[in-house]
Amino acid sequence: MSILIKRSKSGCFNSACNVKLWRLNSTSADSALKKGEEEEEFRVLDILKKRDKMQRRVVKRTDVQPDRIDRMATNQNWGNVWPGPKTFHPSSVPLPIRQGYVPKGQAPPGKKANAELMKIPNFLHLTPPVIKSQCEALKQFCTEWPNLLNSEESIEKHYPLEIISSDYCHASPSIRNPLARVVILRVQLADLKLDKHATDKFKRLVGDRYDPKTDLVTITADRCPTKVQNLDYVNYLLTACYHESWNFEDWEKEKTEDDMEYYDWDNNASKRSLIDWYLRVKNELKIMNDEEYKAFDISQIENGAQYKASVSKYMNEGENPQTVQEYSIAVRKLFGLPQKKLV
Amino acid sequence: MFTRNWKHLCRRYSQAVTFRTSEIYPAQHNENQIGLFYTIKPDLCKQLFNHGGLPKSFMKQTKTFTETAIMVRQPALDIMDCIRASDMNKPVIRYVLYGEKGSGKSLTLAHLLHYALEEGYLILHVPWVSEWLRRTPRHKEMTNSQTKEGFVDLPLDAAEWLLHFKTQNQALLKNCELKISKDYEWSKREKTEAGSPIAALVEHGINRVKYACDVIDALLLEIKILSNSKQCKTFVAIDGFNSFYYPMTRLNTPTKKKIKPEEVTLTNSFLELTKNDWNNGVVVLTIDQLAVPDENQESFLPRYLLYKKGFEHLDPFVPIEVGRYTDKEFLSCANYYRDRLWLRGPSDLETELKFTSASNPYNFMLQCAPL
Repeated sequence: MSILIKRSKSGCFNSACNVKLWRLNSTSADSALKKGEEEEEFRVLDILKKRDKMQRRVVKRTDVQPDRIDRMATNQNWGNVWPGPKTFHPSSVPLPIRQGYVPKGQAPPGKKANAELMKIPNFLHLTPPVIKSQCEALKQFCTEWPNLLNSEESIEKHYPLEIISSDYCHASPSIRNPLARVVILRVQLADLKLDKHATDKFKRLVGDRYDPKTDLVTITADRCPTKVQNLDYVNYLLTACYHESWNFEDWEKEKTEDDMEYYDWDNNASKRSLIDWYLRVKNELKIMNDEEYKAFDISQIENGAQYKASVSKYMNEGENPQTVQEYSIAVRKLFGLPQKKLV
Repeated sequence: MFTRNWKHLCRRYSQAVTFRTSEIYPAQHNENQIGLFYTIKPDLCKQLFNHGGLPKSFMKQTKTFTETAIMVRQPALDIMDCIRASDMNKPVIRYVLYGEKGSGKSLTLAHLLHYALEEGYLILHVPWVSEWLRRTPRHKEMTNSQTKEGFVDLPLDAAEWLLHFKTQNQALLKNCELKISKDYEWSKREKTEAGSPIAALVEHGINRVKYACDVIDALLLEIKILSNSKQCKTFVAIDGFNSFYYPMTRLNTPTKKKIKPEEVTLTNSFLELTKNDWNNGVVVLTIDQLAVPDENQESFLPRYLLYKKGFEHLDPFVPIEVGRYTDKEFLSCANYYRDRLWLRGPSDLETELKFTSASNPYNFMLQCAPL
């Protein structure tokens, strides 16, 4: 392409010389040229457009307004300057802020034309006086704190349901945090109105979400993308478990002693053997059926209650030296034997 | 020669006061003698433990030491106190000795057996239940029971036990006051009539091994009746009782069928004996981790080793822990070993041994052996 242009240029130069030469030779032609200029008979095709070259546009510099900060009064109301959350603007913030990569031996970049400062969310709209004034404005819509809710215990009593979720604030382009969607619901099992069967079923339904030490049921939801959805979900779960635990299905009648979640001494062989032993001591041994065994009142047996308690603890708490020791003490009392002497 | 003996005597005398007690009657033992050794007379020892009863390693040691010395320890005294305090007219009380491996359960039982012998109890002692159910020599005699359908007899073991019973209760069996209550017909020609002494029953079992298991069954029943009628008082001691409740034995029938413990006639006889439906007796059982396979030795506590069934069978029982040596016991034992020239070396050896053996009697004995 460039070669083509060069050729045409050299050709043009030749033709121009020719024209001059021709002009010197002929006067008539010269006059005719003048005439043509005046009358403008023909427009000349100016291929190279040498004649009217465009004048370069002179860039007019607009007047730079002085920074707004220079015109700010020292006693102005900052809340009016920065009323809501917005990206950092250097000329509105009268603070000598610096931010960004620090070259060696230099100060960090200043606030003007500083992208770093614009990236991060700021809380310039939430200065303490602004918050105060906003709170003042909101006060008219508030109701008084109930007098009776004056302690943690009373709050827990009247509002047993506890919802725990977290809000996150951090220096990154997005103010969203995936962990903010997690919602935890906590309630004491004792606060739910459940009977013996329902309590057992509820515990089985919630599984390890129930902590027997603190009696707290903790349901955590994080499967939905937003906090509100998760909140709805935990509420749904609690409601569903609660109502399900009140249901009594047909197959629940098939529960045997082995399926029991705790050791009920009255239903177990231990009570039977205690009663048998007691009746043998009194020489009144008789054959009893299950109902009679269950109905037998052990309070007439001396130290029977302690024995019952120790066996129940032995079975429920699991076997350890402590429970075995307690069992030993109870049995010795039952039999009227001397206790183990400590050496 | 004389000086050496003199030195020997002096050394004996200087240490004798610290670890030995001259009280050889277990009934006279009390708290003052805790940690001290007493010696069982050889003839008594032979009578009681000739057919087993002392652990093998201990037997070896008694041979080395030329005496059977047993330490007086708290659990044994505890049980003796309880036996004295208990009312014999009430149902028998089951005592269960439990503890870590090698803590001395079997020796405590041996101490109690000696006590029972001195006190004139009729002794029913099973030296080691696993011997029946878990040890399988090449020719284990095993037959299907003639009298009980679906049960298995161990006639040789049963006869051996009858012999053991006979040796242990020589004196009591000699006087013929213990009589059986009903006729037992073994076959067309053999029968034991009511009113004959139980010694005859035992003899029959030993001579006619085929019927040994049935004899044991009858014998235990008769002894229960005799005890109830106050003609004798009975001391039942079973070592490794939890073997009866382990779900499987190592026994196989000729048809390669695995046998459960409850399918063995001996098991049933002795489980009957450990019920508390009789009186005028004492039942002392030990439960041991060694009586079950390695994979089921996680804990030494009663509920774990007895399983639910065994626990319910024994409940209510008195659990008695046989623990490790206390400081006093350990020192006394170390002195005893030094006296027997079993342990030599500087005196701070004890501290180290106490640490390495964790005061476990068996470990201590083991670690002293090469020293």
